[in-house]
Amino acid sequence: MKGFLGVDVGSVSTNIVVINENGEVLAEKYLRTNGRPIEVVQEGIHEVGRELNGEVEIASAGTTGSARFLASMIIGADVVKNEITAHAVAASAVVPGVRTIIEIGGQDSKIIILRDGVVTDFAMNTVCAAGTGSFLDQQASRLLIPIEEFGNYALKSKNPVRIAGRCAVFAESDMIHKQQLGYNIEDIIAGLCEALVRNYMNNVGKGKEILEPVIFQGGVAANAGLVQAFNKYLNTKVTVPPHFAVMGAIGAALLAKEAYAKKKGTNFKGFNLRDIKFVTNSFECKGCSNACEVVQFFQNGELLARWGDRCGKWELQTA
Amino acid sequence: MARVGIPHTLAYFLYYPFWKTFFEALGHQVVVSSPTTREILDLGVEETVNDACIPIKIYHGHVASLIDKVDYMFCPRLVSVRLHGDFGSETFCPKFLGLPDLIRLTFTKAPPIIDTRIDLKKGKKELESICVEVGSRLGNSSQESQAACKKARQVHRQYLALLRQGTMPPEAMEILLNGAKPASREFPPDGLSIAVVGYPYAIYDPYINVGLLNMLAREKIKIYTQDMLSDKILNREARELPKSMFWYFSNRAVYGGLYYMKKANIDGIIHVTAFACGPDAMVDRLLEIEARRHNKPYLSISIDEHTGESGVRTRIEAFVDMLRYRRDKA
Repeated sequence: MKGFLGVDVGSVSTNIVVINENGEVLAEKYLRTNGRPIEVVQEGIHEVGRELNGEVEIASAGTTGSARFLASMIIGADVVKNEITAHAVAASAVVPGVRTIIEIGGQDSKIIILRDGVVTDFAMNTVCAAGTGSFLDQQASRLLIPIEEFGNYALKSKNPVRIAGRCAVFAESDMIHKQQLGYNIEDIIAGLCEALVRNYMNNVGKGKEILEPVIFQGGVAANAGLVQAFNKYLNTKVTVPPHFAVMGAIGAALLAKEAYAKKKGTNFKGFNLRDIKFVTNSFECKGCSNACEVVQFFQNGELLARWGDRCGKWELQTA
Repeated sequence: MARVGIPHTLAYFLYYPFWKTFFEALGHQVVVSSPTTREILDLGVEETVNDACIPIKIYHGHVASLIDKVDYMFCPRLVSVRLHGDFGSETFCPKFLGLPDLIRLTFTKAPPIIDTRIDLKKGKKELESICVEVGSRLGNSSQESQAACKKARQVHRQYLALLRQGTMPPEAMEILLNGAKPASREFPPDGLSIAVVGYPYAIYDPYINVGLLNMLAREKIKIYTQDMLSDKILNREARELPKSMFWYFSNRAVYGGLYYMKKANIDGIIHVTAFACGPDAMVDRLLEIEARRHNKPYLSISIDEHTGESGVRTRIEAFVDMLRYRRDKA
């Protein structure tokens, strides 16, 4: 059977999926990047290969996410695409006619507006990471609540308290303040969910025309409290698709499938990536006062690529 | 003969050919700082008062890099460069108005600062008087300065003409000042065209915008900026607004943006804005609202000293994808 591989390496999670020719998910992996993207991709691809048990042959592979270039070098990708396009492609395939995509990941959040199946507008958070997965993670661990349970606490709340969600630092001190006054934890967590939604709508969603159907995807969509807060704020019912956490990877796989239709053949290095030794190192270029930090990528001791320089003098063309 | 330092930022991108010609005609040597580098940015961030915007910090960095190499620092007080038309209270951003003072107080060991006030609204003869004043500080006579001014004006007119033909400032300067040959660029017939508007020191400084124009050029996209439009065209846009803003560079970005939004051959608009820029809070919102009204795709790119290339690249790639899909659909 033919399969198409999609890999999405984000700041917090690394997601891997394999889809078949009908776009159905054959295998799905949601892994923590834990600051080691290379090993996580190697391990993840290996595990996916084991699960598929030799029954699927990868016809084409795509990567996305903030480490999409690095990931493409590791797996041998045929398509490298930004995460906005990948998410839009995946959402359109899962919910045809979708007009608004809310995507909240580990360190970034975005909104994508589509009309008639085409992206017409989008926005990403800039410097502020308030309201993204990392902040929720941090709050959950401060309150000793497993992140998987965090949202359910919010659902038990009857009177969400008002939390300042503009900034993660202020939100945290506000939560502590409310907790010291004696508000119960469910109401504080529900309040936090509402604050994050407000912050999202005022930042990323500012000035965007939000029309139904609305899809909520990305790792944070696992949080039922946030789903409820979005429903309340938008006065609609947002859809959380079945594979919400790996939609970027699904998008990359769909783009790989599209590329395959145009050009047969793949660069994919196979499921046994674990056996290949990938090493990166970096040096500071002394060529000018920009002092770029250049990254070198080695496969089994052979230099495959360099990046990170502004002028392009270290760029390496590989076949 | 004196060595006169000109920082490679802010008004440089529009007025360098004028002043270079002027000073050289008077027999002086012009020393321009290198294009912005990490070292210049770091120097600027170190020296500047904390709450200044990034372009002002970069300016300080350029001044710092010139201090030991020049006898005079050319840092005029830019008030108005309007030659004609009624632009009422229009001026430059307050940080430009106070720039010579900022520089003087930050760099106590700086060489003498030529901080002549440039306020062309005062009348037709004003530019000449300014040139005479600048010249007198360097020991040149009125006659010498008037002749140099005339020559500089000619070069400036040629420079503007090159910009109007669609040449980017760095290339136009190479052609005009160093006799370089215009580079020939091929664009695919069905390629995209994007208008990039914003302050000259944001859109033409590849360090601070992490090579945004290059990213577009590599995609074989035709790029337009507000500086390729004549004053006549820009002023026509001004008349369509109920009110203009107070700041010259902001108004140029707005008028240019409005002009390109109405052009069928322009696929989308990118506004490059400096994080923490007060005027841009209004410029960006105005352009966003107008772009929606004209159904023109619009992307705002905010830059600051921490801007990573990947964030800008992701947005540019997604924007270009979006424009291509729209094209294919149409």
